[in-house]
Amino acid sequence: MAYAMMRLVLRAGLDDDPLIGDIQAQMDDSRQAMSAAGRNAARRAPAGEPAVAAGDAAPAGKTER
Amino acid sequence: MLRPPEKPNGRLALVLDFFFLAFIGYVLVLGLKRPFLWVLLYVYIDILAPQRIGYSIITTMPLSLIAFTAAFGGWVALDRKTGARFTIRQGLMLALLIYCWWTTGHADFPEEALTKWDWVWKALLFALFLPLTLTTRARIEGLALVLLLSIATIVIGTGMKTILGGGGYSNLKFFVNDNSGIYESSTLATVAIGLVPMLWWFVRHGTIFRPHWMVTAFAVALTFACFLVPIGTEARTGLLCIATLGVLMLRYTERRLMFIAGAGVLGLTALPFLPQTYYDRMATIAQPDGDESASTRVAVWEWTLDYAKSNPLGGGFDAFRGNSFTYTMPMRKVDGNTTSIEYREVTDKARAYHSSIFEMLGEQGWPGLIMWLALHLLGLWQMERLQRRWRKADTEATRWISPLAAALQMGAIVYLVGATFQGIGYQPVMLMLVGLQIGLNTYCKRIDSAREQLGRSTARRQVIANKTLGAVAA
Repeated sequence: MAYAMMRLVLRAGLDDDPLIGDIQAQMDDSRQAMSAAGRNAARRAPAGEPAVAAGDAAPAGKTER
Repeated sequence: MLRPPEKPNGRLALVLDFFFLAFIGYVLVLGLKRPFLWVLLYVYIDILAPQRIGYSIITTMPLSLIAFTAAFGGWVALDRKTGARFTIRQGLMLALLIYCWWTTGHADFPEEALTKWDWVWKALLFALFLPLTLTTRARIEGLALVLLLSIATIVIGTGMKTILGGGGYSNLKFFVNDNSGIYESSTLATVAIGLVPMLWWFVRHGTIFRPHWMVTAFAVALTFACFLVPIGTEARTGLLCIATLGVLMLRYTERRLMFIAGAGVLGLTALPFLPQTYYDRMATIAQPDGDESASTRVAVWEWTLDYAKSNPLGGGFDAFRGNSFTYTMPMRKVDGNTTSIEYREVTDKARAYHSSIFEMLGEQGWPGLIMWLALHLLGLWQMERLQRRWRKADTEATRWISPLAAALQMGAIVYLVGATFQGIGYQPVMLMLVGLQIGLNTYCKRIDSAREQLGRSTARRQVIANKTLGAVAA
């Protein structure tokens, strides 16, 4: 039981559930994409390329100045 | 009856106390990093009661209080509480707790009622607090594992003593020389059999100890030890629980005929190794009038029904102390080759309920019984729903849910069968299992709700994307 307790302490998912965390991260992405900035970025992005909203970290080499 | 434990020599007593205190200290320190471990520590202390096993300094320490303060304080001050929900079943437990408090104030036997209230309120309070802490899969599994290993500590010792010839009704000594709580023979037999499905869930779906041949070997040995508990203690309820588990297993077995034949062969193989006293005791299941404990059961149940007519709101804890009845019981007398049966009138007083249903009815009246039944039946229904909902889950992250719901449901049914013949309506281990059921149900609801929100959000995003594309094209 002492070993089980140690394994639990070292486990990353003890306090934050990875599955629910994943779903929530996807939801945040989705929310971000639906925001005004996200929609503008989608409009600006050329077909086939991912949209980058204002405030998002831009992919390397795509930063507009 | 409480009997003073036989004290081992001084050095051994100190070593035993040191072992327990070192483990408790170790978990308290680990809890500084993850406060949830203090919840598990309380579970361990509440089940095993090391303060009752030890002999010297540990017996004077308020271990339960320390662990509960740490568990509750840690949750209030340090836990994020994300996903903690108060559910209808926790509401039922809270209502039962308040109702028990009220009946204790109006009890027929106030002093005795207070003694029982002293541990019942703690068990109910902890059970309704427990689900608030079970917000992740790892926590649900951690609680299940600590429950299992704490019971296993008692069961392994009991199994070994049974094999080494120390069994017998009321004779088998556990860690504690005290026939109460989890250390009561029929209660231990019920709990041990009820936990077998959960044990096998760990073999397939455990992540703290991943599936491995050593885990399987431990599970086989522990299952054997669990089945030895009803044999070693000669608890009739244990035999009923084994039969119940066998019937329930049929639902999850693909080759049913093979399973029945295998169980039959295993049972027949075990028969020659069972002592005569075991046969004699089990024979009283079919002929209850030959045994005082069994024959008074029906009389107590009849008395309780009558009592509930005049006291529909219950008589408070230990209301059974007011009962008294006279009945005729056959007494066998063996004289050489002749066995004669003499019928004698026996008067019994203050006979315990021998059934959780009648325990609830007598002590908490119809409102208490309805709340208790609703609490457990709702749990069976929720576990059934979870099994069906998650049966076809195909990812590693959710495949474990349906089998765990099945294991918890089987455990609950075995408990309810055992509880029909024992007064274990407020048994802390079973209330912790209720807490585990609630935690699993809430966790699954959170997944469903998050996925539903994600689905809605993705659909909305699609609509906006289509509109944007349309506008750009125009």
